[in-house]
Amino acid sequence: MKVYLHDEKDNVVVALDNLKPGDKIEAKGKVITVRQEIPFGHKVAIENIPKGSYIIKYGEVIGVATTNIEEGEHVHIHNLKSLKYT
Amino acid sequence: MEDVELFAYRREDGSVGVRNHVAIISVDHAGAVVAEGVSKLLRGVEAVTHQYGRLQFGEDLQLTFNTLIGVGCNPNVAAAVVVGIEPNWTSKIAKEIAKRSKKPVESVWVIGQGTISAIAEAAKKARELVSYVSEIRREPCRLSEIVIGVKCGASDTTSGIASNPVIGKVGEWIVDIGGTFIFGETTELAGAENIIASRFENEGEKRKFLEVFDNYVKFAKSKGVDILGSQPTQENIAGGLTTIEEKALGNIQKVPDRPIKGVLKPAERPPGKGLWFMDSSSSAQEQVTLLAAAGAAIHLFSTGKGNTVGHQILPVIKVTGNPITAKQMKDNIDVDVSGITLGQMSLEDGARRLYEFMIKVANGKLTAAEILKHDNFAITRLYPSM
Repeated sequence: MKVYLHDEKDNVVVALDNLKPGDKIEAKGKVITVRQEIPFGHKVAIENIPKGSYIIKYGEVIGVATTNIEEGEHVHIHNLKSLKYT
Repeated sequence: MEDVELFAYRREDGSVGVRNHVAIISVDHAGAVVAEGVSKLLRGVEAVTHQYGRLQFGEDLQLTFNTLIGVGCNPNVAAAVVVGIEPNWTSKIAKEIAKRSKKPVESVWVIGQGTISAIAEAAKKARELVSYVSEIRREPCRLSEIVIGVKCGASDTTSGIASNPVIGKVGEWIVDIGGTFIFGETTELAGAENIIASRFENEGEKRKFLEVFDNYVKFAKSKGVDILGSQPTQENIAGGLTTIEEKALGNIQKVPDRPIKGVLKPAERPPGKGLWFMDSSSSAQEQVTLLAAAGAAIHLFSTGKGNTVGHQILPVIKVTGNPITAKQMKDNIDVDVSGITLGQMSLEDGARRLYEFMIKVANGKLTAAEILKHDNFAITRLYPSM
């Protein structure tokens, strides 16, 4: 299953295919089980991200987790919000 | 990456061009009809036309003048005929192009003779110029002598993964060999403006950049548009982008990660080599035209969904990282780096592919937008005419 890691510092990867629960993806040398349907171009958490911590993509902060996010979960508007303009 | 020798056109003012056009530049709507007429009669001319140039005033008029003069001075133009409705502004623009670039420039106006006669006069003058420029030979130049511009349009997830980083990498090579690279799109930086600001070499230019950015945001707000609050768009969200920071970070992947020299006004020529930011619209045809006016001789354009923009005098190289676009819009795409998106190509290989294509274009290879006559010269208007 194809995913894209922009930067080694990232805690999310981008799905390069429509992913389904149970799909195995590989990032930073570990295998992760996808927990939800994740469409092409959307983000998947590659580690457990506690509520209130930063989501990192391109090696930069793209916002903050609004809930506890588990490895393999879909990261999008339901659990990530901008720090800049809300 | 090392500087490359290539064959291009060395102009009197020291700039280097990759095309040898005779531009028929219209000052206004009347001149546009004449320029179109001439371009139907002769081989080797490019009609640079628009419908503005009347009853403009202040800064807006000055930007239109600077755009027309800048395009005339562009190193891809070898000679020009300026055509307008009346002698005053027409001669003013022609004289300024000739003074700054030392190129042969003629001027023709419609009042006093009518359109058909003006077409004949402009065509006779252009005919002499075409004959003259056809003798100008390409000579050995360096890639680092060519001014290169960048923009993205119709972006999607693949722009941030493949085509933008590829262009950013090529831009870094250009800056490292001592070349000149210009980016712009003020509003597209929203969300990553602080990252861009932190890359300015000096405090004064950094402040100027943040001021330009704030002014844009305020101007939009005064018209009832919240640039920051409206990003990312519903389309972006459907595509997987969640926050404005994320979208902006994708956009700035095409900006080389190198120190930024300074802020250019719209259509302003960079005063030196290195990486420059130009205050400019994110509308493709307007931004490409402003960079043409600033002397860019090659433009790198990243697209996800497939923006088709081109320009009369500035070759625009289309790069896509979207495998579907690469297939469906093959005719419009120059460099396909979708292998990166599919995990079959490294970023470095993609960048090398673009670099090599760019060198071919500098040596004379035509881009898709040139072959398809995507002649999208467009004036940036700052406010309405009187």
